Amino acid sequence: MKIAVCIKQVPTREWQPRLNDAKTWIREQDASYEMNEPDAYALEEALRLKEKHGGEVVVCSAGPARVAQVIREALARGADRAIHVEPIENDGLGSADAGVIAGALAAAMKEEQFDLVLTGLQSDDQGFAQTGVILAERLGLPHATIIMEVQVEGPSTGSGQAALRVKRELEGGWFQWVAMPLPAVLTIQSGINQLRYATLKGIMAAKKKEIRKAPPLPAGASAPKQKIVSLYVPEKGKKTQMIAGSASDAAKELVRRLREDARVI
Amino acid sequence: MILVIAEQRAGTLNRATWETIAAAQQIAAGEPITIVVLGSGAGAVANELATADVREVVNVEHAALEPYTPDGYTAALQQAIDQLAPSLVLLPHTYQTRDFAPKLAARLDRALITDATGVKTTGERAFVRQMFQGKLTADVVPQGPGPHFVTFQIGAFRADQAARGAAPAPVRSIAVTIDASAIRQKPEAPFQEAKQAVDLSQAERIVAVGRGIKAAEHLPVAQKLADALGAELAASRPICDSGWLPMERQIGSSGQTVAPKLYVALGISGAIQHVVGMKGSRTIVAINKDADAPIFEVADYGIAGDLFEIVPAIVAELKK
Amino acid sequence: MPERETLDVDVLIVGAGPSGLSAALRLSQLQKAAGGEPLSVAVLEKARDVGAHMLSGAVLDPSTLRDLIPDFEAKGAPLATPVHDDRIYFLTRGGKIRFPFTPPPLTNHGNYVISLNKFVTWLAGLVEAEGVDLFTGFPGADLLMDGDRVIGVRTGDRGVGKHGEHKPTYEPGVDIRAKVTIFADGVRGNLTKELMRRLPLADGRHPQLFAVGLKELWDVPADRLAPGTVIHTMGYPLRFEEFGGGFVYAMPEGKLSVGFVVGLDYKDPMFDPHVAFNHFKLHPLVKGLLEGGQMVRYGAKALPEGGWYAIPRCYADGALIVGDAAGFMNSMRLKGIHLAMRSGMQAAETAFDAVRAGDTSAARLQQFETKINDGPIRRELYPVRNVHQAFGHGLVAGVAFSGLSLVTGGWWPRPMHSEPGSDRMEKLADYYGGGAVPDGATGANKPDRQLTFDKLTNVHYSGTRHDEDQPVHLLVQTDVCHTICTAEYGNPCQRFCPANVYEMVVTEGAGKRLQINASNCVHCKTCDIMDPYQVITWVPPEGGGGPQYDEM
Repeated sequence: MKIAVCIKQVPTREWQPRLNDAKTWIREQDASYEMNEPDAYALEEALRLKEKHGGEVVVCSAGPARVAQVIREALARGADRAIHVEPIENDGLGSADAGVIAGALAAAMKEEQFDLVLTGLQSDDQGFAQTGVILAERLGLPHATIIMEVQVEGPSTGSGQAALRVKRELEGGWFQWVAMPLPAVLTIQSGINQLRYATLKGIMAAKKKEIRKAPPLPAGASAPKQKIVSLYVPEKGKKTQMIAGSASDAAKELVRRLREDARVI
Repeated sequence: MILVIAEQRAGTLNRATWETIAAAQQIAAGEPITIVVLGSGAGAVANELATADVREVVNVEHAALEPYTPDGYTAALQQAIDQLAPSLVLLPHTYQTRDFAPKLAARLDRALITDATGVKTTGERAFVRQMFQGKLTADVVPQGPGPHFVTFQIGAFRADQAARGAAPAPVRSIAVTIDASAIRQKPEAPFQEAKQAVDLSQAERIVAVGRGIKAAEHLPVAQKLADALGAELAASRPICDSGWLPMERQIGSSGQTVAPKLYVALGISGAIQHVVGMKGSRTIVAINKDADAPIFEVADYGIAGDLFEIVPAIVAELKK
Repeated sequence: MPERETLDVDVLIVGAGPSGLSAALRLSQLQKAAGGEPLSVAVLEKARDVGAHMLSGAVLDPSTLRDLIPDFEAKGAPLATPVHDDRIYFLTRGGKIRFPFTPPPLTNHGNYVISLNKFVTWLAGLVEAEGVDLFTGFPGADLLMDGDRVIGVRTGDRGVGKHGEHKPTYEPGVDIRAKVTIFADGVRGNLTKELMRRLPLADGRHPQLFAVGLKELWDVPADRLAPGTVIHTMGYPLRFEEFGGGFVYAMPEGKLSVGFVVGLDYKDPMFDPHVAFNHFKLHPLVKGLLEGGQMVRYGAKALPEGGWYAIPRCYADGALIVGDAAGFMNSMRLKGIHLAMRSGMQAAETAFDAVRAGDTSAARLQQFETKINDGPIRRELYPVRNVHQAFGHGLVAGVAFSGLSLVTGGWWPRPMHSEPGSDRMEKLADYYGGGAVPDGATGANKPDRQLTFDKLTNVHYSGTRHDEDQPVHLLVQTDVCHTICTAEYGNPCQRFCPANVYEMVVTEGAGKRLQINASNCVHCKTCDIMDPYQVITWVPPEGGGGPQYDEM
């Protein structure tokens, strides 16, 4: 099976927000980065499928030079090779919207004819939850989202005869199995498996694995569909209402406000 | 015209649709609103939607739309939008819309802004959304030709603020053609799984305890409140470290992040490690002996006092 | 059970800090120049990313950098801020007295204000570009020895649960065997500490002495303090019996480094370095600089203060010790990075020759000590050999001696007496003489959450993160804690740890018990150093865990 895993590099969870001067994006040079967590679970799922069905796992990532960090980490964990889509001139791809990213990835991935494409359900930075689905549309492949379990049935030759059965997560503790043909695109839910460590040998081997640089899209090929006009630290919009009085009075008043004002009970 | 895409399953309307209708009415400023509902046999749902103060309800019926598949819905909605020609398309941000809305928008090569929590109408219309796990908020303007698509976070608008019309809006059907054999997904029936682990992120109400509860044997005080509110019990880190509640119930930077409708913090000081896990909650109530405790900075309602007196009083009040 | 991986290299470097990376870089330079059979070099780093655990003021003396990388500017070294203005103040509770001039060794003309985190990250880029294997997320956990010879290092196990059980992802540590192991594991490095216990490296040397530095990175209005301004303070909030002082360094775009250093040899068991740090920030001089700004990062690290006489023997069969692990820091100039780098370079030269000669015995590796004695390290450290020890007699003696030593070259009839800092902590009964003991930390003010913060909030800003499901990495003989320590010292671990790791928790009906919040640990090593009974041993937690010192 030829499996692609699309991985995004995002600021670390511990990163403290620092905005650029225009207040429309973050100061990228101040941030430290890591692999988007849902994508890490997608990678782990891909590696397990490869172990079970054979084939290769190809990491695909779009972004500036610094994304080499997550590409190498993925290679060190066991991916076989990588495709790095570099930014269009004057656009670092760091703040790009899902449509631009998906378009860039699709252009680089199309000729590879992957049997299966996995990616995390959304990113920890912009959190669109769109890229995987748009990618499926651009590649002309069926898709399913927020997947908890992946079963590949039938011959694993990738000739279209193999089939997929995936478990979708729905609201409120409901789930659903869906059957689909291969090739297909899946967005993977976080926490569905245990992430393996990159071993020492894996880290050393990663240095020798191929990272193909895909050419950026020509300017104008993928116009941004969103513009962030303002980025800011959320203000505390609310003013705390302190309720005074005896225990019973305060309790009474609180319940009243929760019932009538906040309408949460 | 603003188009609201309703969500229904097996003839039951998802309540989140009413939130989207409220959003549409707030944004509309005179523009007409149409609601479209898909499915097979969605008649009753259409009639329920017709009570809203909108111009019309459009029913899209096709056998291939039952059960839901992203391929089917995209094909149908593409045609519906082509026929109805809205300038803005609104949906609730649900598991289902996350599954098909990006495909639909990409099919039409139009902007989609997901998980918006509000709208700003002064100047260029911008949609507000959280980024970087809630650390930052962004005002985003969709680019390119319309229609633009927006999904709204559940709870960002209030369903009960959706205005009803004086008379039911007209309901009509439109026809779409779907090649059923081109639908690649074959879904089985949804099922519920026995609760494997506590998933606080799904809870609508949470009562959380901190050091102020003093000892494990006092937990029933909090549990009674949780029961009275129909809430899940959760805890700040020290409680779980002491083993008084299991780790799955921990809220905070080393536990779960939640954003329920109601969060009641009992005897929790509000250390930042805890606050980052719950500050997205819609309504926060804090009860703590220390009036200076940082928790009061994020609370909507606060009572500085002895929780062992106040909580039973609240329970009694709720029973009335 | 997965098999234990093994790896064989010529030179293993434990720690990717300035000394370890300088060693790695120097080795590749020597390799290039000499040609011939390529040397295999590996560097281990416990942090998830190089630089993540790097914290320092810092003001860099670029002398070593010039020797190691002559074209450092062309290579983009992050030395954006030359020092322009050097100020020293003596602080009183409400005021300040500026020293009219800066004593020559303390001037920083020609030096740079830097972020050590950024500097080390840059250095690591150069090292990796040379093809050196840099393994991040791999702590050195155990020594591999054959008798008295160091044959390598075993990294920590991964995937071990809270109670020692093997999780599905379990992997045993890797055995890395090397002809020469260069220990660059930092101040109170766990492997260096173990090595010094096993071999008589400290014989005839003075006990190592330490200080702890607490630091915050602040965003203030850009015009608040000119970039390149370096401020050092003495006096308030420390008393004459305590060693230390504060610093404020200004970088471009309104970034300020604010910090406080306290000798880990104070007498008062109720003393809390974090409280002192908060008092420092509230002093009008500092407050005026921070007001209206935003605290962005916090961290803490110990510093090796013992000086020349406390440096152990730095070579053994198959081993060399460099950097802060050995204690190459000039405590008068408050500079150690350039010395750490120099020691790394010299160790690399020694190791290279030894490997090529096929002889990595102690006798051969002694060449390292010769280089130290004959080179810039001794030239710089010998004259200040007694400085910290002089401060052991109080601030006045320390300053007087330091002043005198500028003229006398540090002369004193014999090496000044010193004892381990943890021995100097007095018991409550002795220090407070039976009188009232202050409740909690001495003189703590409630943090205002604008300029000052409680430890737990500060820890959040250190970015420290550890997998929760792992054994506690602080090994404590807890029977001491709730018995004699409470009575004798009042459990000072709760105060000297800058990260709220240690808490004596009172549970209803069960009395006091030590709770270790291991995941708060910022790897500063203060507890390992300062605990009066020496019953705390810091071992590395699972690789990758620890602080995230962006720009520190």
